[in-house]
Amino acid sequence: MRVEEFDVLIVGAGLSGLRAGLELSKKWNIAVISKVYPVRSHSGAAQGGINAALSNLEEGKGDTPKAHAFDTVKGSDYLADQDVVMFMCEEAPKIVVEFESMGAPFSRLDSGLIAQRPFGGAGFPRTCYAGDRTGHALLHTLNEQSIHNGLNFFNEYFLVDLFKADRRIAGLIALDIAKGELVSFRAPYVILATGGFGRIFKFSTNAVINTGDGVGAAFRAGIPMQDVEFVQFHPTTLFGTNILITEGARGEGGYLFNNKNERFMEKTAPKAMELAPRDIVARSIETEIIEERGFENSYVHLDLTHLGAERIKERLPGIREISMSFAGIDPIEEPIPVQPGQHYSMGGIGTKFDGEYGETDLSGLYTIGECSCLSVHGANRLGGNSLLETAVFGRHIGRKLLKKGLPNKSSLSEIQIAEERAIDNIERLFKSWNENTGKKPVEIRNEMGETLNRNVGVYRTDKDLKKATTTLLRLQKEFLNTQVSTEDRSFNYGLIRTLELRSMLDIAEATAYASLWRKESRGAHFRIDHPTRNDDKYLVHTMIYSVKDELEIKTKPVKLGIFEIKERKY
Amino acid sequence: MVEKHKFLVYRNSGNGKSHYDKFEFPVSKGMSILDALFYIQDYFDSTLAFRYACRGAICGSCGMTIDKVPLLACRTQVSTVKTSKKPAKLPEFKFSDHPEWDPETEILIEPLPNMSVLKDLVVDMEPFWKFYREIEPYFARKWNDVAPESLQSTGQMKTIERLVYCILCGLCWACPVSKENPNYLGPAQLAKADRFIRDSRISDDRQESILSRVLQDDAVPACEKFFVCNRVCPKRVMPGTAIKDIRNNWINE
Ligand SMILES: Cc1cc2nc3c(=O)[nH]c(=O)nc-3n(C[C@H](O)[C@H](O)[C@H](O)COP(=O)(O)OP(=O)(O)OC[C@H]3O[C@@H](n4cnc5c(N)ncnc54)[C@H](O)[C@@H]3O)c2cc1C
Ligand code: SF4
Ligand code: FES
Repeated sequence: MRVEEFDVLIVGAGLSGLRAGLELSKKWNIAVISKVYPVRSHSGAAQGGINAALSNLEEGKGDTPKAHAFDTVKGSDYLADQDVVMFMCEEAPKIVVEFESMGAPFSRLDSGLIAQRPFGGAGFPRTCYAGDRTGHALLHTLNEQSIHNGLNFFNEYFLVDLFKADRRIAGLIALDIAKGELVSFRAPYVILATGGFGRIFKFSTNAVINTGDGVGAAFRAGIPMQDVEFVQFHPTTLFGTNILITEGARGEGGYLFNNKNERFMEKTAPKAMELAPRDIVARSIETEIIEERGFENSYVHLDLTHLGAERIKERLPGIREISMSFAGIDPIEEPIPVQPGQHYSMGGIGTKFDGEYGETDLSGLYTIGECSCLSVHGANRLGGNSLLETAVFGRHIGRKLLKKGLPNKSSLSEIQIAEERAIDNIERLFKSWNENTGKKPVEIRNEMGETLNRNVGVYRTDKDLKKATTTLLRLQKEFLNTQVSTEDRSFNYGLIRTLELRSMLDIAEATAYASLWRKESRGAHFRIDHPTRNDDKYLVHTMIYSVKDELEIKTKPVKLGIFEIKERKY
Repeated sequence: MVEKHKFLVYRNSGNGKSHYDKFEFPVSKGMSILDALFYIQDYFDSTLAFRYACRGAICGSCGMTIDKVPLLACRTQVSTVKTSKKPAKLPEFKFSDHPEWDPETEILIEPLPNMSVLKDLVVDMEPFWKFYREIEPYFARKWNDVAPESLQSTGQMKTIERLVYCILCGLCWACPVSKENPNYLGPAQLAKADRFIRDSRISDDRQESILSRVLQDDAVPACEKFFVCNRVCPKRVMPGTAIKDIRNNWINE
């Protein structure tokens, strides 16, 4: 067995993992483990921007970190932990300026300062951007700095499971994708930065690789999932591939039409129309589709044709390119087919109450970025806050650990026992998959995705959620007998995708379970049978544990005290 | 509307021996070549190897040769691959002898050219990354997190915008010079160098250091102006033009 030893292991080379790595590599021997090359990470797909109260615009002069924090807490429908939000918003201007000093190619104002634009739910124009590919610009910038600073990468290594020794984290087992061999990475600190997990849904704007492997590995190691019922749906994703069609298309004046040629937003938001908040537009579109006023029972039309060729070419070139390349439609001539899709996961790996930001209940294990739940987004994330979260907490965790120093390592004999046990488990799993005669992984994956979309989607009811939990339980059973060849393990992506499914099923189940438990509507979680918010009962974080193969729910208090709880009204 | 399509896919288990597999299956509306490969992996052969991540033409993972043209698999539609316009004057890419390929009815899928194959459609990108690191693609300013940020005019920003957009997909390594000269740094690498050389915020030291590397024989001077890179680049980075610009600005002074 190949063994590697480091002071810290960071799993994930998106913005959060890279930023943590850049901090920690200043002093320690670290490794960044990623299933894809760093620049392939999904952070690169972010378009809109990153929030910071820089006040670079005249209209933004009154902006402050506190105002930013207020918007974030209000947007979260008051479920966010207020101290963490405050910290993030105070760090925001520093983090953006730091990105610039690293060379990030931000768009600029005439003054030469970083440009900012207004974004939904924000009181001031505070979203800094690099054209309509901010994530790409920032991810490449951190990758460049990683080259400069000689960061140590294990690219195309897949985290399978974590292992513990002496009641703390001791390392992880990864599959070297090229060689196809299992490798034991030992370290007293592990940071999970594995990104979002939108692929549990059939329709998602997320990359194919956003499968929640870190959340699954932590869950199997006893760490709960927190707030996973809160899933942000974007109203306009391209029918077919579900690639994001940004709000900008409606911002520029695009109309939404059903198959009766009606601008149906009249019914739900007669004033704001197409520019109503994301969740409302998503629900309105879903209603049209359910009530058979959509096209092919699946989508509505986003019409830009009235804007004219010139305006579309100048203001929305990205949207035009996406529509032409991925749907064969030129928005100058024809409307774009759109449907709501999963976009962002507010929940994730559960964190310790009153711990360091990102600390879990397992000593030495930390988590940052979209896979984590710190919780800065509460029940609903504001656009532009998640890129911010990645870098702020990446840097923060690095600094905190360096200050804390390296802990005493677990005893070598305990580590060896733990890693061997972990490897044995995985080998047994591989062997069974190779010999099984049950369904193919794709059948289970498809049914999981369809179930989540249908029963745990934009609209939720007791009845549908119960259906979902039953179906998912059956799929879990079927998965035990799934078959995939594990003989030749070199670049065996069929195997990789089955390992991903293993985690996704757990997350899907927890999502349905938590949604069923939360009998209220808050932020992105909308229960038709419980349409209002219920602070008396549900102003708490949900923590889903696996106890003897059964899901169990606990709660964790929300950190309040800075902003008063109010109704979320815009 | 379900229509059957035929695919001829390059296979190589990494031991040097290669062959082609045929697949035929119904294609749903809007299916990309990447979707088709997933379909094969899901239903016919789970060991078929290819790289992917974003499926939205932004991550640069899925470069391959489709009907003899280097393309991003995720952005190429099965239904239009036969009818869409091909870039002009491409060199011929040969991977091995393949069984009769009927270009009218079969979609031919092969790895990226001028890179060695690790398995099936997965190529060894290590040389690509190595040359990328060699041009020192970074700022070395001391990190600063105290406002104000350093200034840049919108005009200055515009001069690097197109170059920033490179997704490091490697399609431009279809360049005939890359084929002949394994030491040639490559179009993407030189375009990235231009991105840094041009940036108004770069220090003189850094600019000189990058220039001294890219002006060596196996870099800018090696370009033979085929401009294949410009024609295959999926992001309109125009690396060939960047190389020409470096030459004009820094050699023919
Ligand atoms: C289309 C789209 C647009 C967006 N636009 C914006 C925006 O404008 N503004 C904003 O603030 N946010 C936006 N977001 C959200 C934001 O981009 C993400 O939340 C953020 O980039 C996540 O960063 P991360 O570092 O947590 O994870 P990622 O960038 O997803 O990186 C995850 C890393 O983990 C690695 N990994 C995962 N599993 C394993 C494993 N098993 N083994 C090894 N490595 C593994 C991957 O290789 C990868 O390197 C957008 C999201 C989408 C989908
Ligand atoms: S220059 Fe174009 S073809 Fe070359 S790596 Fe960059 S995006 Fe790909
Ligand atoms: S999968 Fe990312 S570019 Fe094709």
